[in-house]
Amino acid sequence: MEYKVEAHRIMSISLGKIYNSRVQRGGIKLHKNLLVSLVLRSARQVYLSDYYAGVCLNAQHIEAKEWELMDADREKLIPESEAAQPSSADCGVSEAAQPGQTRTTGGAQLCLKRHVGAEDGRASRLQEKDSDSLDPSDVAVTSPVSPAISETQCGSSDCETDADAAVTEGDSRQPPKDHACSHRKRSAEETGVSETPVKRTKVTPNAIVANNEIEEGEEMDTSNVSNLITIFGSGFSGLLSKDSAKSESETDDSDSGSGQICCEQMLKNLNPWTTAIVAF
Amino acid sequence: QSGEFLATGDKGGRVVIFQREPQGEYNVYSTFQSHDPEFDYLKSLEIEEKINKIRWLPQLHSALFLLTTNDKTIKLWKVSERDKQPEGYNLKDEEGRVKDISKITSLQVPVLRPMDLLVEASPRRVFSNAHAYHINSISINSDCETYLSADDLRINLWNLSITDRSFTGVSDIVDLKPDNMEDLTEVITVAEFHPHHCHLLAFSSSTGTTRLCDMRSRALCDQHAKLFEEAVDPASRSFFSELISSVSDVKFSHSGRYLLTRDYLSAKVWDLNMEKKPVETYQVHDYLRSKLCTLYESDCIFDKFECAWNGTDSVIMTGAYNNFFRMFDRASRRDVTLEASREVCKRRAVLRPRRVCIGRKRRESDICVDSLDFRKKVLHTAWHPTDNIIAIAARNNLYIFQDRHSPSGHHGVHRIEQETPPQLEDTPPQ
Repeated sequence: MEYKVEAHRIMSISLGKIYNSRVQRGGIKLHKNLLVSLVLRSARQVYLSDYYAGVCLNAQHIEAKEWELMDADREKLIPESEAAQPSSADCGVSEAAQPGQTRTTGGAQLCLKRHVGAEDGRASRLQEKDSDSLDPSDVAVTSPVSPAISETQCGSSDCETDADAAVTEGDSRQPPKDHACSHRKRSAEETGVSETPVKRTKVTPNAIVANNEIEEGEEMDTSNVSNLITIFGSGFSGLLSKDSAKSESETDDSDSGSGQICCEQMLKNLNPWTTAIVAF
Repeated sequence: QSGEFLATGDKGGRVVIFQREPQGEYNVYSTFQSHDPEFDYLKSLEIEEKINKIRWLPQLHSALFLLTTNDKTIKLWKVSERDKQPEGYNLKDEEGRVKDISKITSLQVPVLRPMDLLVEASPRRVFSNAHAYHINSISINSDCETYLSADDLRINLWNLSITDRSFTGVSDIVDLKPDNMEDLTEVITVAEFHPHHCHLLAFSSSTGTTRLCDMRSRALCDQHAKLFEEAVDPASRSFFSELISSVSDVKFSHSGRYLLTRDYLSAKVWDLNMEKKPVETYQVHDYLRSKLCTLYESDCIFDKFECAWNGTDSVIMTGAYNNFFRMFDRASRRDVTLEASREVCKRRAVLRPRRVCIGRKRRESDICVDSLDFRKKVLHTAWHPTDNIIAIAARNNLYIFQDRHSPSGHHGVHRIEQETPPQLEDTPPQ
């Protein structure tokens, strides 16, 4: 189990580095960020394999309730993400951002929000599935999007092994999600962020692991899911406050930026921990 | 290239050139500002003025030429001496003011009069806008007409005489950029031309592989002629295995037969004829293997150490932490750890070898792993091409050591004396 703690720590450090590299002088260093993403990937693999070996969750009955809640949250979020500009009031994360930030931050926050929104929908959808095949529609959706997101979504679909191909609910979500994704990509381009060097996770090894572990049930941790709901239910200011509370109790790192705080919180939830990468 | 001059570049974009005095000491010869900070308006990024690499061109006449590069722009500098100045102008007086024409009664021919030596550096060429990513190396070809510059994904070949890209003054010779940036798996870390064969170049990557490319067989060297890679022992895998295998420096031996590569924990000597594994592996600071997580947190794991051959290719040298640097004698397999710091080094003092121990100290000169200062790192080292003189850059200081007792040939491990330590900032000696 100590591997898990170590892996978790390494992941949070890596995310912090990626976030900080955005504001470094001299531009984003491709080499360093590539290496950091490799470490992140190794740590994540260990973390997830450890996770499978651990708790087996029986959250099925809770899922139904959360499902509805999440649905409502997601609907709320997607229209928000369609807006051209995020208002800083909406995004508690951007409030915490340094005032001297350039447009990049604004765009990044936009990405952050949308990604979280997409993740939310994704998580809820995955929860109620039981099949162990990769969702090709998910993969298709992720491909035009920045690598971090695709990594997340592929990873989560792999690990959770709950993705179902082209189910009706999936279909209804696809168009808005596609829209959100394209928005995300556009915003990334707008802010002039140069190619993100985050490496795309290789899907196959995870898929194999996932397939083997299908009997263990859903990967989604109930506590994580309920956290997600609380966060999204109260908007992003809720995210920030919840983060502070959580990070105080759980981490001893002193987080400097909002991205860091987000990192800590997101790591509690397996899916959207690459949100910071999206922000990057 | 003769060893008479040593060039150092710092984080502030300044280059300082040292000249070897007849007595053997190196003193400052010239200082100039090579690069200034720039701003890329398109990407809203600041371009640092920090000098990444300096390379000397072979000296053809009295003037010196060197290439310096920061992250984006390479400059060719000419450093020349002036010890005469013309005097006796007709239209100007000594201060340069224009004379009143009506006052001129006779004409004179200006003559050259001796003056105090003035060393001037002037940029002769500026090679810019060729790299989308940060430049990490430059290397002059043995033909002395072309040179390469490498960034994270591409290696460009330049002609020293032509700066304008559109006249095919520069061409891609290696391009590692994938069609989809999400598929990126490795970046180029260092590149160097072979010292004798003008068609061969080596470049190493973040995955720990070193490739040798032949420019004759393909204009674009995507296919390598040779690939030097050592299989990683699966038992020693950790989160950081990929990180520490990234090659930070590659140097051809003077003979051209061997390659020296430096990764985070070790230095390896490869025979160009054998690709599967190195002929020699030297552990520089293996005691750090258990501390990789801490080093990752502090960013120390990303430090790029350089390495160097001595003139006869019998000894290799590289830096470590705590201002230590290590030398490995290839033939005798002896190695030594020395420290470059003000407290330890006085003028003419003989350096004592140091030792890093993991447990308790056994001798006074030992130092415990936990007391190593990781902020003091020797990233840049250089060895005189023929003599046993080495330059070590440690933070703000440049140390020059000489082996007095055996000026050439076999290196006497215990007899190193120190010479002047001038104050400089973060220098890569060349």
